[in-house]
Amino acid sequence: MLAATILGVLLGMWPTIRRGRPAWWKALAIVAVIGTIVLSLAPPTAGTLTDAIIVARAQPNSVVPVLVTVTDVSNVPDSTQTYSATVHDARTTDHVATLYFSSLVKSAIDEIGGRPTVVHVRRLDSDLAFHAEAIGPSDPFLTLPYIPGLEERARIMYYHVPMSWVALVLYIVAMVESIIYLRKRRPEADRLAASAASVGTLYTILATLTGAVWAKYNWGAYWNWDPKQTSIFLTMLIYAAYFVLRSSIDDAATRARLSAVYAIVASVAVPFLFFILPRLMPGLHPGSSDDTTAGPMLSLKSDTLNPTKQVIFSLSLFAFSLVAFWLVNLRFRLGQLEHVEREEAQP
Amino acid sequence: MNELLTQQPIYVVLVTALIVWVGIAFYLWRVDSRLSAAERRRQQ
Repeated sequence: MLAATILGVLLGMWPTIRRGRPAWWKALAIVAVIGTIVLSLAPPTAGTLTDAIIVARAQPNSVVPVLVTVTDVSNVPDSTQTYSATVHDARTTDHVATLYFSSLVKSAIDEIGGRPTVVHVRRLDSDLAFHAEAIGPSDPFLTLPYIPGLEERARIMYYHVPMSWVALVLYIVAMVESIIYLRKRRPEADRLAASAASVGTLYTILATLTGAVWAKYNWGAYWNWDPKQTSIFLTMLIYAAYFVLRSSIDDAATRARLSAVYAIVASVAVPFLFFILPRLMPGLHPGSSDDTTAGPMLSLKSDTLNPTKQVIFSLSLFAFSLVAFWLVNLRFRLGQLEHVEREEAQP
Repeated sequence: MNELLTQQPIYVVLVTALIVWVGIAFYLWRVDSRLSAAERRRQQ
């Protein structure tokens, strides 16, 4: 996933961020965005029969989508409205159980035959007996893993995490361009730093909003003052002050010099706020001091995140990196045009 | 609304995706407006 971010950043800045993007580059960004939208929303979430058993122990009447094959449909003796069938877990074929279902889903079960299908099941009084509540898609091209407690809401991660990661990258770009400005006094570097900080702030705001939605439906409240939430709020304030500073100075050279110094100081604070502070304190995010893992992004263990999720997550990071650099490029070229206008307007 | 989002978690994901794309579209619209204004000024 880090490799996808690095690839997105390198490609985002290639061949130069100062000129218009080539057509193939734009096409690649659009394809990556469409791929992210489709893969993050379309595949059904489906767990295993074991997931359904685990969830039922905590919440007895919960319904869990599982990927199974249904065979040997028959009538339950002494009942005309209830049927039974054998279900095999489609991923681990050794898990076999009995599925009961009403006449309402009988026709759907007859249609799917022995094909792998997402069936929404409720555990009955034994680990070997389930009731089918609804029938989902058959032969899904891809399924997302079922995470107890998160379920469908786990997909928010494909939007929320890339926003904050790419924002961090853009703040680093702003810092590098600010250093270049202070060393070489090139006004272009100042405009590029401001463009990167501008898009970085947009991404920070979006990361905060999407994080608030996640917090509401997974943790119970939009805002919990979790260390990472507090950190991102402080980052927003720091970069809001950067733009206030820029807008309050009329002289271009003074504005560029002071903004460059401020951007460098601000970017020193950003890694501390993003990585160090949330890891020193207990919190709700993965990687906090009371969490045993480093979090899915920074963990060196390959099995921290399901392989399917890793692929979609990587594509999402890549797509949002390209979109960010596209926006930076547009913002920079606009700044250049406005600068030329001001130059021409001067007597 | 809140009840719908609680009972149908996929809509929470759709809301999240919508926030992201509306945010990016709004930024793009602002850049485009400023660019159009600059172009108009140059033509005049």
